[in-house]
Amino acid sequence: MPILEVRDLKKNFDKTEVLKGISFDLEEGEAISIIGSSGSGKTTLLRCLNFLETADEGTISVRGECLFDGAHPVTDAEKLRRMRLHFGLVFQQFNLFPQYTALENVTLAPLLASGGADRGAIIDNGKQLLDQMGLYDRMDNYPHQLSGGQQQRVAIARALALKPDILCFDEPTSALDPELTGEVLKVIRNLAEKKTTMIIVTHEMAFARDVADKAIFMDGGVILEQGPAKELINNPRQERTRQFLSGLAK
Amino acid sequence: MFLTVTLSLLEGFLGTLKLFILTLVLALPLGLFISFGSMSKLAVIRGPVRFVIWIIRGTPLMLQLLIIYYGPGIFMGLNVWGSDTTGRFTAALVAFVINYACYFSEIFRGGIQSIPVGQYEAGAVLGMTRRQIFNKIILLQVIKRIVPPISNEVITLVKDTSLARVIAVYEIIWNGQAFIKSSGIIWPLFYTGAFYLIFSGLLTFVFGYIEKKLSYFR
Ligand SMILES: Nc1ncnc2c1ncn2[C@@H]1O[C@H](COP(=O)(O)OP(=O)(O)O)[C@@H](O)[C@H]1O
Ligand SMILES: [Mg+2]
Repeated sequence: MPILEVRDLKKNFDKTEVLKGISFDLEEGEAISIIGSSGSGKTTLLRCLNFLETADEGTISVRGECLFDGAHPVTDAEKLRRMRLHFGLVFQQFNLFPQYTALENVTLAPLLASGGADRGAIIDNGKQLLDQMGLYDRMDNYPHQLSGGQQQRVAIARALALKPDILCFDEPTSALDPELTGEVLKVIRNLAEKKTTMIIVTHEMAFARDVADKAIFMDGGVILEQGPAKELINNPRQERTRQFLSGLAK
Repeated sequence: MFLTVTLSLLEGFLGTLKLFILTLVLALPLGLFISFGSMSKLAVIRGPVRFVIWIIRGTPLMLQLLIIYYGPGIFMGLNVWGSDTTGRFTAALVAFVINYACYFSEIFRGGIQSIPVGQYEAGAVLGMTRRQIFNKIILLQVIKRIVPPISNEVITLVKDTSLARVIAVYEIIWNGQAFIKSSGIIWPLFYTGAFYLIFSGLLTFVFGYIEKKLSYFR
């Protein structure tokens, strides 16, 4: 059974249809990359999966359990909060909490969730995650003392600390200087090797092809093409996908 | 004479201080409350609240003092403030609290609205409750941003307390001025300036300290 099943997801903003029926599956331990031109609805899709937006129609199921159904959207804040725990989201703009150190950023939510129990274990886990991100010696730094690449790696550790079923990335390197993208892509690559279930929206085509198992090409709010990542990116079937990919190559 | 004047001015300054402290203690929480009203999603709340803020910020505090003190008697025939000094002080306090709460509310609103929505969303996707997000993420960032404007407003309040004189609330300038009539000397009035300067200097120092304490993050 797939860990994530998205069926016919639709989302409108006022009169504009931004998602026009998105369906895909994700298996546990798989990484899927989502590519597509700007405005095609990639961010909106991730935001619907993390319940920052409420989709108008369609269903989202995790491990066979229907979490969301557009026919009966959840409005209860506590239910919504628990639904969100299935997903993690790494933002394009990092969104670290400026008043907390790297380690505090990583441990804040788990400590609040545990109500103070397991404090030692949570902090150890936070340190270990930062170590895994290559930031062990930076754990006491505040975000403004870190480079963009380091901040984004803290944000990844922060998302991992809650052990989400599915970790989503929204263009994790788009806000970075080119020389800093490598260090972030490297840690995501490591996560893929450890079989972390991930959805990665990216414009880094080589990365999307080599790291992800599957790829999705979105255009105008629909999935125009999906399949094994290497196949889709090396030999796209759709003319539109070819156009998009060759446009990037220039 | 210098000692007599100093003691009299000190006594007047206690009145100033009392008005200052009570205004702050009441207007800061009320201002936060009003700022929530002015940001309400419901237009029936937001509209009237913003209208009141507009009135209060758009008219002189001196006028508001006079209206609050004399208004009930003139327009409704009510003697709400009594006729003693306590009544006049209370009327002045009410006017100051309303006025300053409105100014503070706009500072709070600006501070709260200046926090990027990404901060709320980052908390939400980490499974934090709305209360946790506000208390643990937003609040300190707001405080950091509003300390400088609040500091300005508080120092203005030190000087504005002298307006209470228009409804005969005893404060330091009142006492300084009294020497013109009683002893024919004007320097005690000028001397009051020293009290204001020392007090606002002290406040500037305190706020500077708070700002420095919060400078560990951006
Ligand atoms: N909150 C919103 N209100 C109105 N329109 C929106 C909103 N968010 C996104 N959109 C619109 O939805 C479309 C898809 O946006 P987005 O999901 O950000 O695309 P992508 O991430 O692929 O660039 C765009 O046309 C955008 O203008
Ligand atoms: Mg986007």
